[in-house]
Amino acid sequence: MQGISQDFIFIHCMSHHINPKDVFIIIPAYNENAVIRSVLEKLLPCKYTIVVVDDGSAQNLFPLINDMPVYSICHQVNLGQGAALQTGIEFALSKQALYIATFDADGQHHPGDIENLLEPLTDNRADVVFGSRFMEGSVHNMPVKRKLLLQTARYINYFFTGLLLTDAHNGLRAMNRKAALQIRIEENSMAHATEILAQVKKNKLHYTEIPVNIMYTGYSKAKGQTVWSGFRIFFDILLNKIFK
Amino acid sequence: MNGIQILLITGVIILFLYYTFRLRNALLDMLILALFTGVAVFFILFPEYTNKIAGKLGVGRGADLLFYICILFFLFVILKLFARIRRLEKTLTDLVRKQAKDEAIFMKEPDKI
Repeated sequence: MQGISQDFIFIHCMSHHINPKDVFIIIPAYNENAVIRSVLEKLLPCKYTIVVVDDGSAQNLFPLINDMPVYSICHQVNLGQGAALQTGIEFALSKQALYIATFDADGQHHPGDIENLLEPLTDNRADVVFGSRFMEGSVHNMPVKRKLLLQTARYINYFFTGLLLTDAHNGLRAMNRKAALQIRIEENSMAHATEILAQVKKNKLHYTEIPVNIMYTGYSKAKGQTVWSGFRIFFDILLNKIFK
Repeated sequence: MNGIQILLITGVIILFLYYTFRLRNALLDMLILALFTGVAVFFILFPEYTNKIAGKLGVGRGADLLFYICILFFLFVILKLFARIRRLEKTLTDLVRKQAKDEAIFMKEPDKI
């Protein structure tokens, strides 16, 4: 009985002709100890290779997940989400990953969306796929204030990178090995989302967007970006442009 | 010599001595430092000269000229410090990342689920 249900989940999660083990899911986690287990539990049935990057959390994540089949990487000090992603990507590449996806640790993403993100990659239609909360077909319960903030961020990204996406700061993305080798995130802070766009443009990578579902829980709202952090990201981008 | 001049000259000399002990190997830096100290002491003793220079540059008072120069100087210092912090951050990131990748572990073999 168990075998059947696992097979079913397997087919449900991975209908393409790729080995899910070649798909590495990078989960940057900073003080997400309360939810990390439940997020991983939802992801594990998909059989992807999971890489949790603990970005110097106050309380070490390892004891919480030491019975789960996932890779754990630990930054000794907190460097920022961008740095955690880059560490995870480099690690995945060293493990011969063919596809790499990034996934937020706060439980706002839906594991089933990863398959949709991989589709354009496996079909060779794109090198990088961005998840979007604002495309038709995506479901979200987003607060109005955040919606406005993200709309502003879209145009700021457009201003700095020349790419206008429907969503600006979505933690759910996927890329193939070629793109992962070319993209190098040097912005340790949240400004990495803009940097990825800039590098997609610079390296002339093909990109596309796929609608994804976002579940805003009280937890993720409390941990998420505010207008103030939006300003900080903006100044990070600006300063880093000057100091390149 | 009045009170403020004694105070300022003492401060400048203490700073000069402090940097002298820290930069004892950098000859060029020492020369620049000595030059700055000399100019500072000169203008503290004869402040009316700053007024003359200020007048030539179209600024009313020597004190105002000094103020403007200070703003420029501090902006320059902030930029230098920012660039240095960026470099440090990059070094730190590289080190932490290397250690993190070297010490990556697989929590549990998938077969045992």
